[in-house]
Amino acid sequence: MLSILVWIPIAAALVIGLLPHSKAALPRWIALGATGFVFVWSVVLAIQFDELTVNTQFQELLPWIESLGLSYQLGLDGLSLPLVIINGLLTWMAVYSSDKTIQRPRLYYILILVLNSGVAGAFLAQNLLLFFLFYELELIPLYFLIAIWGGSRRGYAATKFLIYTALSGVLILAGFLGAVWLSHANSFDYADINTQLLPVTSQLILLGLIIVGFGIKIPLVPFHTWLPDAHVEASTPISVLLAGVLLKLGTYGLLRFGLQLFSESWSLLAPYLAIWAVVSVLYGAFTAIAQSDMKKMVAYSSIGHMGYILLAAAAATPLSILGAMFQMVSHGLISAMLFLLVGVVYQKTGTRDIDVLRGLLNPERGLPLVGTLMVTGVMASAGIPGMMGFISEFLIFRGSFAVFPVQTLGSMIGTGLTAVYFLLLVNRTFFGRLPEQFSNLPSVSWTERLPAFVLAILIVFLGIQPNWMVRWSETTTTALLSPEAAIATAPPNAAQSPHDLEAATNLNRPAVSANML
Amino acid sequence: MIGRTTTTSHPLADIITRLEQGGALLPDSPENVMEVVGILKSYGYVLDAYWRNLIYISEDQFLVLFPFFKYFNGEVSWNKLLRHWWHDRINYEFSEYCMKAMFYHGGGKLDAFLDTAEFVELAQQAIAARLKGNLFMQTLSNTFPGFLLEQVRQMVYYSALGQFWRVMSPMFLTLSDRYDRGEIPTIPDVVSHVLNGLVEAANKPITYAVQIGDRRYPIVPESVGATFLMDAAVPYVEAVFFRSFPFMGTVSYNAQAGQIPPDIERFAYGALYADPLPIGGAGIPPTLLMQDMRHFLPDYMHLLYQRSPRGEADLRVRICASFQKSMFCVTTAAMLGLMPYPPDTTDPDQQAQNRVYLENWMYRFIDSRLPSVQSCEI
Repeated sequence: MLSILVWIPIAAALVIGLLPHSKAALPRWIALGATGFVFVWSVVLAIQFDELTVNTQFQELLPWIESLGLSYQLGLDGLSLPLVIINGLLTWMAVYSSDKTIQRPRLYYILILVLNSGVAGAFLAQNLLLFFLFYELELIPLYFLIAIWGGSRRGYAATKFLIYTALSGVLILAGFLGAVWLSHANSFDYADINTQLLPVTSQLILLGLIIVGFGIKIPLVPFHTWLPDAHVEASTPISVLLAGVLLKLGTYGLLRFGLQLFSESWSLLAPYLAIWAVVSVLYGAFTAIAQSDMKKMVAYSSIGHMGYILLAAAAATPLSILGAMFQMVSHGLISAMLFLLVGVVYQKTGTRDIDVLRGLLNPERGLPLVGTLMVTGVMASAGIPGMMGFISEFLIFRGSFAVFPVQTLGSMIGTGLTAVYFLLLVNRTFFGRLPEQFSNLPSVSWTERLPAFVLAILIVFLGIQPNWMVRWSETTTTALLSPEAAIATAPPNAAQSPHDLEAATNLNRPAVSANML
Repeated sequence: MIGRTTTTSHPLADIITRLEQGGALLPDSPENVMEVVGILKSYGYVLDAYWRNLIYISEDQFLVLFPFFKYFNGEVSWNKLLRHWWHDRINYEFSEYCMKAMFYHGGGKLDAFLDTAEFVELAQQAIAARLKGNLFMQTLSNTFPGFLLEQVRQMVYYSALGQFWRVMSPMFLTLSDRYDRGEIPTIPDVVSHVLNGLVEAANKPITYAVQIGDRRYPIVPESVGATFLMDAAVPYVEAVFFRSFPFMGTVSYNAQAGQIPPDIERFAYGALYADPLPIGGAGIPPTLLMQDMRHFLPDYMHLLYQRSPRGEADLRVRICASFQKSMFCVTTAAMLGLMPYPPDTTDPDQQAQNRVYLENWMYRFIDSRLPSVQSCEI
């Protein structure tokens, strides 16, 4: 069942590749159909998903290169399910929002479909090498999507992205290889690896490689500089995918391979990670305040918001991890919405400069509904109650405060700063008198508004009723930290000393349950 | 036209020159003519509804403490009430805003008369007759003797504006008919039509009386000498076109920061200054009038508006811009009608005095929308 998520986009890409050049409109329809099907299929999986089960579900196992320990093993748990769903949804929206008259449509949609497949595969993989293959697979289409259809500095941005993320891949691969070889695991399957038997120094080195590797992808300060460039130069649909889905590969990897595989050494690094999180949050927020490009502002906002996830992961309480999970989805939807809206503003006005734009909320000649949606989006991003952003930030702060009170308070300042820079954006761009140069803007059609509108509904709905999403992940995120989970991830014949288990769970966890939601 | 040797250094010198040469504040072009006549046609229909309601209120809602049905013109029915709540109606509130602007800024013999003892006496007679048998209202009136008197003054302005628009409405509709017959090819012809209409009605008396029981009580008798042009049209133009008041809207004003002039003579919030873009913005909220006018637009105006980038999605902005153009034509007519000497005079002294007169007007237009309407787009 899970292979459908991986192979349907590839099959669609192949079909598009075989189409004659004369069928210019067909690739878009095929891409829409394939990504739409993938999204619907992920929803079907969610309906059939048993949220009370700790183990991965819908498992598929196909031996591949056994001598390397590589197998085609897919599975779905509460950590990957929400990300698989937003991958399907946002890819469909990216295809839908793409310019119908885009140059070289066949290649464009093929690359998006391959990207979708790679991301889905990475979230579903249950084998380290398979994960790495999918992780690397998504780099190539993304590089071309920026380099071919990007802005004026697309070559620079794409190359920078490639260098950074290739380095990220190298570090992650080194971490994976070290973890498997040093722990003498039989294969790269997640269940075969037990790093707790390794010396602490080895664990710390391997964990460090993985954290930095995924830290580049997230991205965490100071490995973030590729992101604003990539966002600014990428077209709107690609920015949506970049912020909404691809950054989540980094945070997903951090939880899956950092926290889950190296639970013992994780607790040693956690205080430093929490400080790192605060630095990322505050740096992202302060830098966002200084921006005049709307897209850069949203991009730096992403850096800040990803910091919350690091804080939650560092605290490693059931509530904070649940919050991290919710924040991944919340940020995915909110940032996708903001990028879509910035894209509409740019398309209609020809600029993203908040020092030039003004009065776009004008009901007759401006972009009133786009402005309304933008206000909704920035409210959600700033953590206003009643929206997803509030739930995720509340869970993270509530879950992290008992472990890292100072760092949590520091991160909470970032929430306030989010309101500052987004209010600056909204105030300058949408309020006041529409300048003469923008007094004859073309109108925005409903097809252009639809994706952001749907996202706004989801953001508000899941802000009011978060349990609809939380219930999928709560069991998994709790098990991620529990002794039972450690046993589950250890090989059956591995020695389990009480000391190991104690170390793995030796974190001060507040007695707060996600059920309070 | 008469040759003139001197040119003015006024910032709006081009427009002054155009006026001296027989032109108007608005440049002459076939599209401008069509736009102005078309919008004045719809305005004529709306004014017809407005003046009937203003006269109805002044005569039939005289001192009604809670005039719930003042917009119903005496025809109260469930059907009409439901349509009113559904907002399928004329926005009579707009005419009241205009009335209040006139009442606030005053001017002319009518305004002066309302402060005389004669008016107080006449008004008190009507008040006494109206309150006969109504102990509550009598007590209220005795406790606050100025209250009902002020209400009567307001009723006078309801009536005065109603009488003014009663003349203007058919004038605009006739203009449209003449345009349809090909008799109005240029903007100066539009101005000429309005000017002739104003001159023709200039000396019509403005009076006010109410019927209470079997007796008719005069409140502004003909002997006051209030006339259409000087005591209704000119105060109207001054109050509604030029001054009006800072109205709450997209543009906000801070009186403490000196953004509102302390003396109302320097107010510049009128229709000629209103920004068409922030609908509901400064001045009398134009939205209400625009909403009403859109129901009566001739077909050629729809076709004109459909050519804009937003089609008719920004119809109210387009109507507002057209309306301002038309009001500059009406203002031209008023200016020419009040000019000290005929525009085509050959006497250099008279020409000089006309020049000074026009320059003084133009100084008031510097911050208005006049420079903007010189081009076709807002």
